Amino acid sequence: MILLEDVTKVYEGGIVALRDVNLDVQKGEFVFLVGPSGSGKSTLIRLMLREEGTTRGNIWVAGKDITNMPGWKVPNLRRSMGTVFQDFKLLPNRTVSENVAFALEVLGRPKTVINRQVAQVLELVGLATKGDRYPLQLSGGEQQRVSVARAFVNRPPILLADEPTGNLDPATSVGIMRILDRINRTGTTVLMATHDHAIVDAMRRRVVQLERGRVVRDQSRGRYESFRSDEDEPQAKKAAPPVEQPSVQPPPASEDLEPAAVPEPEPST
Amino acid sequence: MSRAAYLVLQAFTSLRRNALVVLAAILAVFVSLTLAFGALVVNELFQVNTTRWQEGVHVVVFMKDDVSQAAQLDLQREIQSWDEVEETSYCDKTCAWLEFKEMFADQPALLEETDASILPASVRIKLTDVNYYRDITFRLLDNSAVRKTVTAGDRFDQLSNISNILNALGLSLAILLGAASVVLIANTIRMAIYARRDEIGIMKLVGAGNWFIRIPFLLEGMIEGLVGAILAVGLMFALHQFSLDWQEQLPDWIDPEVSVDFLLRWGFLTLALGVLVGLIGSGVAMRRFLKD
Repeated sequence: MILLEDVTKVYEGGIVALRDVNLDVQKGEFVFLVGPSGSGKSTLIRLMLREEGTTRGNIWVAGKDITNMPGWKVPNLRRSMGTVFQDFKLLPNRTVSENVAFALEVLGRPKTVINRQVAQVLELVGLATKGDRYPLQLSGGEQQRVSVARAFVNRPPILLADEPTGNLDPATSVGIMRILDRINRTGTTVLMATHDHAIVDAMRRRVVQLERGRVVRDQSRGRYESFRSDEDEPQAKKAAPPVEQPSVQPPPASEDLEPAAVPEPEPST
Repeated sequence: MSRAAYLVLQAFTSLRRNALVVLAAILAVFVSLTLAFGALVVNELFQVNTTRWQEGVHVVVFMKDDVSQAAQLDLQREIQSWDEVEETSYCDKTCAWLEFKEMFADQPALLEETDASILPASVRIKLTDVNYYRDITFRLLDNSAVRKTVTAGDRFDQLSNISNILNALGLSLAILLGAASVVLIANTIRMAIYARRDEIGIMKLVGAGNWFIRIPFLLEGMIEGLVGAILAVGLMFALHQFSLDWQEQLPDWIDPEVSVDFLLRWGFLTLALGVLVGLIGSGVAMRRFLKD
């Protein structure tokens, strides 16, 4: 679904953000992108969105080489990717429904389709009753759920999330992760950059660790911190978040979160 | 809401948001186009008035009596073949006498005392452009058949000078103000882009096409240009009407009648020019402030 080949990104002034990054993400995978600030996680996401070009190397998204994609094709590329950011990026003067509908309006979808899909996706993120509120009337977690709804309303095959829980408390983060997990289970490829140890450790999905622009670890069912062996448990593990929902601590046998109260999304049309 | 309605609504919302700057831009377009259009009208007035003088006869060539009529007709043919000449007519001694009688019909004494044979035959010349009168006069100066060449030359020159000065002044001011209009419109668009920068960022993220993002700004610039142009054209039509109403007070050798046809033709062009100024303004702003 996403393939990076020897991708290097050097910013003006010679700052190397990414160095020979190779990454192959299959359809339907859930990948955590971890690493300290400045390790290149956000740059990687920006490159996939074609907000910037690579300095060297190629990127394929959904079978298309986006490295030399002409500017007029970029909007089309972005329609195949939903994006969620730490700062939500909601329009304060529009209601929740309008914010979500916005993503479809700019694509010129008919109104009936917009109404139906917005209702479905708000149901999915658990905000069905708050469609008429304005973002500032919502809590941070709710705002982020609106943002996830907007990213997913068009049923893109890929969802990119850059620190989606960065501004949220641990309990709220769990709610967001549930939704992302749910979206992933519809077959959507999810790539999420994060600092959140607890979430990565709880979910146990593929972890790609970046350090100073290099991929230093690529591990399926990994944890945030790397250990010699996958079975090693940390002696002094970072305190798990005080989650009320014990379900985030995954049962060893299953990598799925406990089914949440939110309904299954409709299959993409 | 349909896409088109959405785009138009965006443009109008944005116009309302920056009402004051938008007003400045519209006024600049208005003044600039009024000057440009005004210069055209002055030019047209000059053309209309000079062509109409003396029923379109710009130069009268009086012949010597000792030249045969055949030679006179030859001269007429020669004059007719010149590029500057649109039309000639020949008036022999009989024709001259008839005109004379008509002209002084109320002075029978004069008519009685005048000998018809002293009135010269003449060739009347209508020029393609009155400004050629000097060339024609000069060319006929040494012609042995010609007794005298008469034109309304001084008046041509006067009017022509005034018209040229007004044209040059009007057009250069119009160009200056046109440039100012572009800058002012670009500025309103820049403010509009700034006001909507979050929205634009999100539109790009969700994959809005580049034109979907740009069209509201283009529309906004076009509306500003168009409104300014409509004001300018409206003012011209009003002035035209006004001058017709006050015709008696103008010097008798000026006919304020500019055809409505002319006003309409150039009026539409002025509107198009207004739209163009708006498009250039928003184009400049988008190039600088709306990166793909």
